[in-house]
Order: sequence, then C-alpha cells, then structure tokens
Amino acid sequence: MRKREFALLVAPSMIVMLGLLVIPLYRTMVWSFQQVEYGSPGEFIGLENYTAALTDPRFHRAVLFTIGLTLIVTAALVVLGYIIATLINQLGRWRPVVLGIMLVSYVLPNVVGAAAFSWLFDTNFGGVANYLISSLTGAEILWFTDVWPNRIMIILDTVWHLLPFAMLIILAGLQGVPNEILEAAKIDGVSSLKSHLYVIIPTIRGVLFFVTLISIMDVLRTFDQLIPLAPQAVEIGNESIMLYIYNIAFREGSEQLGLGSAISVLTILLILTMLFPFIRDTFRESKVAR
Amino acid sequence: MRFRPHSRALIGAIAVAMTMALVGCGAGSRTGAQTATEVQCDFENPAEPTTINVLAYNSSAVDPFTNTMVKSCTKENVTVKHDPIDFAGQVQKTTATLAGDKGTYDIIETYGFIIGPNAAAQKLQPLDDLYAKYSAEYGLDQIDESMRKGMSYEGKLYGLPMQAQMFVMAYRKDVFDKHGLSAPKTFEELRAAGKKIQDAGDMKYPIALPYLATGDIATHYQATLNSLGSDYVDPKTKEPQLDTPTSKQAFEEMKSLLPYMDPQVTTFDQPKVQQQLFNGTAAIAVMFSGRMNDLTQEQNSKYFDKFAFAAPPAVESGGPLYSRLSIDGWSLPANTDKSPDLLFELIASSVSEEASKASIPAAFPARKGMMTEASSPYAAAAMESIEGTTPPESYPYTPDVSNAVISLIAQTVLGKLSIDEGTAQMQAAAEKVMAKY
Repeated sequence: MRKREFALLVAPSMIVMLGLLVIPLYRTMVWSFQQVEYGSPGEFIGLENYTAALTDPRFHRAVLFTIGLTLIVTAALVVLGYIIATLINQLGRWRPVVLGIMLVSYVLPNVVGAAAFSWLFDTNFGGVANYLISSLTGAEILWFTDVWPNRIMIILDTVWHLLPFAMLIILAGLQGVPNEILEAAKIDGVSSLKSHLYVIIPTIRGVLFFVTLISIMDVLRTFDQLIPLAPQAVEIGNESIMLYIYNIAFREGSEQLGLGSAISVLTILLILTMLFPFIRDTFRESKVAR
Repeated sequence: MRFRPHSRALIGAIAVAMTMALVGCGAGSRTGAQTATEVQCDFENPAEPTTINVLAYNSSAVDPFTNTMVKSCTKENVTVKHDPIDFAGQVQKTTATLAGDKGTYDIIETYGFIIGPNAAAQKLQPLDDLYAKYSAEYGLDQIDESMRKGMSYEGKLYGLPMQAQMFVMAYRKDVFDKHGLSAPKTFEELRAAGKKIQDAGDMKYPIALPYLATGDIATHYQATLNSLGSDYVDPKTKEPQLDTPTSKQAFEEMKSLLPYMDPQVTTFDQPKVQQQLFNGTAAIAVMFSGRMNDLTQEQNSKYFDKFAFAAPPAVESGGPLYSRLSIDGWSLPANTDKSPDLLFELIASSVSEEASKASIPAAFPARKGMMTEASSPYAAAAMESIEGTTPPESYPYTPDVSNAVISLIAQTVLGKLSIDEGTAQMQAAAEKVMAKY
C-alpha cells in the first residue's frame, strides 16, 4: 500500500480519535489542576483537587467498592463464561436460538436492563426473586438499603449483563481448538476435566486473557446500572468511582468539574495499574510470536 | 455472499437478540402531542425554517402544556421539538444548556427553586417587557400574582407560570372507614392512624412518603421545617438554621413516622410511592399534587375509586401545613439565538386559558379561577393546601444549601448519624456554602 493511500485510509479514524479521545483527555488533565464551573474558564489551583480527592474517605470507599466488584465479577465472568460456552459449543441447530436469547441482556441498554433486574427484587414491582426468597427462608431482605444484599444484587446484575460477551468470545476460542489435540487426549485416556484443565484452557489462554482484560475495563467503569440498583449508594458505601465522579461533578449541584477531572485522572492510573500484568503478557507473547 | 456456519450462527443469534430487544423497547413509546389540545398560537412567521427545542420533563401535570405547545405552534416555518425526558434528566440538561455561550434548548421548563440562582447568574431572560406586550393577546393578567412572584427574582419575572404543585394527602377511604378514622390533621393523628391500620394487620407499612435519599428527602425535611415555622436559612441574616432546636424537632418528627413506613423508604421517589398505593400496600401518602390524578385512573389500580384526598397535616396542631408549593413555568435561556418574541408567543399560547382548562384535572393551572372544588377529586384538598402553605420565595443559595446537606439529612433520618451530629454537620456544610453569598 502506498503511503498516500495509507494516510487517506487512516486519517478518518485518527481524526475521530483526536476529537473523542485525545482532546477530552487533554482537557481533563488541564481541568484537574483547576477550579472549574460550567461555562466559566478555570482557575489554576495546583494540586488541591488531587489532595481533596486522596483525603476524601468517600473516594476511598468508592475505590475499594469498585476494585472488589471488579475482581468478583471478572472471576465470575471467566468461569461462568467458559462453562456456558462449553455447553453451547456442544449444541447443534439450536445454537443460534440459545445464543440469541442469551445475548438479549447484553444488547439491552445497561440502565434499562438494570431497572428491569431491580424489579425482580422490588416488592413494589412484583419482586419475583424477593418473593421466592421470602417464601423459602421467611426472611425479608432489604436489597436496596442493606450493604451486602445490595452488593450481591449489583454483582448479579453486572454478571448477567456482561456474561454473554464473555461467553461469546470464549465460544469463538473453543471453536478454534484443533480437533486433533482433543482426539489425542481422548486416545491417551485423559478425563474430561483434565482435558479442559491441561489441553483446552492452555490452548485458549490468549482468549481468556482478552476476556479478563475487557471485563476489568468494563467493570471498573460501572456507572449507569447503579442508578436503579443502588439509589442509596452514597449512604451505604456502594458508590462506584464513576458514580462518585458523576455525583460530585454534575449531580450534587456544586459542579466541581476540576475535582471530577482529578478523580478521572486517578481512575485512569488505577485502570492502567490493574491491567498492567495483562498488557505486559500480551506484549511478551507478541514478541515471542515474531 | 456466503457465510461460514459459525458466522451464520452468530448472525442468527444477533438477529434474534435485536428483535427481542426492539420489541421490548417499542412497547413503551408514546406520542402525546398528537392527542393534545390545539390552541391559538399566532407568531410572526420567521423567514427561514426554524426549529425550537423545548426541554420539559414528562409528567401528567406538565405534559398537557408541553404537548399543547408542540401541537399548536408547529406550523409554517416553525417546528417545535420536544423529546421525552424524566425530571432527573431535565435537571442535568438545564445546567448544561445554560452553561455556555450557546445552549441546546430555546425554551426550558423551570420551577421556583432554580429561578433564583439562574436569574442571579443572568442565565435566564427577564420576561417583564414581553409579558406586558403580549398580556392582552393571551390574557396573561389572569395568571395568579403570587405564582408570578414565585417565578420572579428581585422583582423581575423570569418564568411564565404554567401550573403549581403542592403537597396533597391521598388516603384509602375504605380502610379509614373500616377503622373509624378521619383524615389526619396533625402528625400525631397521622401516627395514630398508621398504628391503628398496622395493628389491625391490614397493611404492614400503611404510611408512604417519598424519602428518596438523593432527592425527595430534602424537600420533605424542608416541608417539616416550614410546618414548624422555620427554613434552611434565615433570609434576613443569611444565617443557616440547621442546628436549632426546631431543626432537631423536625428530625424527631420525620423519624417518628418510620415505624409505619417501608424500611426501604429512603429509596422511594414519588412514582414508587404511587406504586405502593396502586398495589394496595399503603393507605396514606403525601406527595405533590401532580401525582394525584394518576391515582384516580382505572387503568392504574383496582383501588382507583377508593382514594380520598385531603390537605396534608400540620406537624403541630395550629401550625402551617406540612407542604411545599412548587410553581412550574417556562423560561427563556439567555443564550438562545431565537427571537424572544417568537419564543414568548409559544410559551404564552401553552398557558392560554384554553390550554390551562384542558390541563385539568392532571394539573393545577396558574390562572386564577381555573381550579374549582368540582374540577377534580383532589381540587379542594389542593386549594386548602395552597392556602396553608408557606409562600415560596426564590433565593440563589437554596439549591446549593440543599445539595450540600441532602446526604446528611438522609444519614440522620436513617440513624447513621445522631440528630445532634447530623444537624451540627449540616450547619457546618450550610455555613460553608453561605460564605459564597
């Protein structure tokens, strides 16, 4: 491909990236050192926003909650995604139908799905899950105001929403495992469990890394599902970092865009730290492949 | 084009998922403007095609005015555009559209609470000259003076009032009759009614109030304060009065109702309280009047004909009612580039006599004499409520103070902070805010 053609083809995406990624990132960095309100130019205040964020117990709670949620949900996505993908891989003509039904939760806008999900636990709107649990245990669980029941509901919803994506990618990986290897393992008398542990999983290791990477990035950005699922997030410590940024920068009236920007920068650093092992391994693997 | 089997499976799966999602999403779409009342909307036709963007949240009380504007004023070169949005969305978009040199919206729905700060920051256009110019044509002098005052700041009109909302108490007449109860006039009577219904085993949580920790709870705390003769800030001295004995008493009164309310009440907004009444799981509720018409609709609840309405109780006998008066109206952003005359004619037509009549019983129009006791099942209650409510005044600091203390109010009501701790922290937060004013 000639240089000119290359530039012509790449230019549109570069312009979009510049407009939607680089400029907002630059603006966020600048604002993080300023006191900014809507419609007025910022005033430089040095590291005050960072100091305010790092000494705010609410920010600490939001970070802990978000990291905890990310670790639990990512583990559940990889394990359940693998199990379900394995089961679906064995289906015949019904595979598209089953896949289609499973994808509904992923196709739905997150906040819509979460609102519907919250009704399962809300007696005012039917509360089927709530009713079943109450009937079986006799307990009245306060899903929206008690810390741990609310966390469990958020975890279940996040897994329900993201599982189809994880499952779909792992399914694609499973379909790429050569039949020869599986048959050789069978002939050698390897049990089904060992075949998964020592043959299939190592073969699709890269795919599982990819699913983990994307899941971590998705869950660290948890935001909109908390609006219907955790209306009392701030009071019970179930506020994610993104919801915290939204609350202080937009919702709580004081419009602290500078503080919100500083927390966004800190969040980017947190995401990079959590992804570092996966990015490093990906680089190493690509080096070996060359 | 040929697809590999895997691709075909994936395409099939996505098609099934998309179809199911689209069927689900399509189920809730509405086009209210098509069935709205058409009124006179005579503006000077602009030379070029002009789109007027309107920001107004959807509710049964505001929709009649918005829909009338869209239907009546979309003609010739003018297209009036309104997209459905909820109240929280409107709050966000109002801040955003008023922020820069040029905004997204040309007409915005406002209410007394936000007039002060936005007028003080010169983000809204004063409407006095336009009001005088078009008063005769649209009969605007019939708009209640106190309503206009509620949408004014420092003597200038910044919002053309469309309707008012005030707290109204809805209760289940059949349940009250069964227990020989009458509509409570004080909090003591309210607690007694709640206890009687609860003790009889009829309902586990008979009282329903919207105590949502991120919103409504601040309104209800302020209503309690007002009923005890106090407010967030003394307007004369600009001193917050949140750690006073009255403020502490307000919390005692709010907490005294908790045993009769759902334990998750701090997650309940007004639609959820409505839902409790629809389901028959609560017998008494106090909410803004705009939510009352829904209770009388057969399609919403099998109890639609069992509801009665009364003015809300006073916290203490003989005091002002436990109520807030909120006036809704139309404002013109200072940063719109559309002709102020054109925009004003649009909003004036939507609050015209005919349009206001058509909004009853869902709304309580701002025009004098529109609402009579016969207008709706809750009209008498609304009129009594408006008489007994502290008149609203718009101050630029009220939203900031309210936002600064809302989480502390919730934590104090929930018992996470003692009343002494909570009120002390609220006072400190409010003093910090007031330092700016």
